[in-house]
Amino acid sequence: MTLIECPRESDVLDALASQRWPHRTNQELVDHVASCDVCRDVLAVAEAMREDHDATWREASVPSSGQVWWRAEMRARHEAIRAASRPITVAYVASALAAFVLIAAAVWLAWPAIHEYVSAMAPLQAPALTSPLTLPLLVALGAFLIVAPVALYLVLSDE
Amino acid sequence: MFTRDMTFTDVERLDRIAARAVETFVMDEDAFRAFYDRTARSVWSYLARITGDRSLADDLLQESYYRFLRAERAFDSESHRRNYLFRIATNLAHDRHRRGRHSISVPVPAENEPGALMDGSDLAGDTERRADLARAMATLKPREREMLWLAYAQGSSHEEIAESLGVRKASIKILLFRARRRLAAALGGPSAFTRSRA
Repeated sequence: MTLIECPRESDVLDALASQRWPHRTNQELVDHVASCDVCRDVLAVAEAMREDHDATWREASVPSSGQVWWRAEMRARHEAIRAASRPITVAYVASALAAFVLIAAAVWLAWPAIHEYVSAMAPLQAPALTSPLTLPLLVALGAFLIVAPVALYLVLSDE
Repeated sequence: MFTRDMTFTDVERLDRIAARAVETFVMDEDAFRAFYDRTARSVWSYLARITGDRSLADDLLQESYYRFLRAERAFDSESHRRNYLFRIATNLAHDRHRRGRHSISVPVPAENEPGALMDGSDLAGDTERRADLARAMATLKPREREMLWLAYAQGSSHEEIAESLGVRKASIKILLFRARRRLAAALGGPSAFTRSRA
């Protein structure tokens, strides 16, 4: 059966942590490590990692606590404001859509009268207005004229 | 957004909302600064070693403390607070790993870094041993790297490791044993024992 731990592991780690290993450690522990697979692995891993930890610690160049606090504060404020502004954004988009639907409906309903008026005013251009594509094109143009400024506003206001 | 069209009342309202966001932090500025000064280097070292990427460790450090501040939970003790911070850092590193940034490089000290303030032979030996460790660590699973670092570099107890990694305490012993055995084998060559006694 493979042993997964040894009661002397903590002695080995203590000796390493207190920098007594290997020269100021009692011989009995040294002999034990030489004969114990678990303690040998613990020593190999812990020694390498502690050395690396100490070096990494010295190299660590972390920002100051004041700087980290300030950034966190700014970010929290910004996120809170964004979250609070979200309903306003939704209201703007909903208003734009409602305006579009209303205008499209008005153009649709008034189309016979517009057609009649334009035909009377410009009889030579009337064939263009009788085309089946005219109404959808006019509605699309109207929608573009309404939606484009709103979209532009939404994009630019992010800055 | 839409600040151009805001009334003075809107601005005041948003200002109050922003101030409240900071009030929800888990600690005030003085307490945070003291806690940060006690833990930042450990967290950075941990992140640098488990990700193998110093600049990523810089980013994740800031993010870890931000998420910690926004945690909306109470902590019984310094140890609990610290373990929770390491858990956040671990989860962030896992997220980055899943998103594809998982190269485990060898963060060796440059000559002008404070870690390099030693004589030439020491520096060469130190750099070589650290490179060996980094290569060996790269062969392990992320969870194994984290566990070994917490246990042997930082000296965390099994309970602290379990809390930091979100693993059951009962599993730590066997997981740690397997990870340690794999790393010892990957380190290969003359063992630390023989190196130390030489």
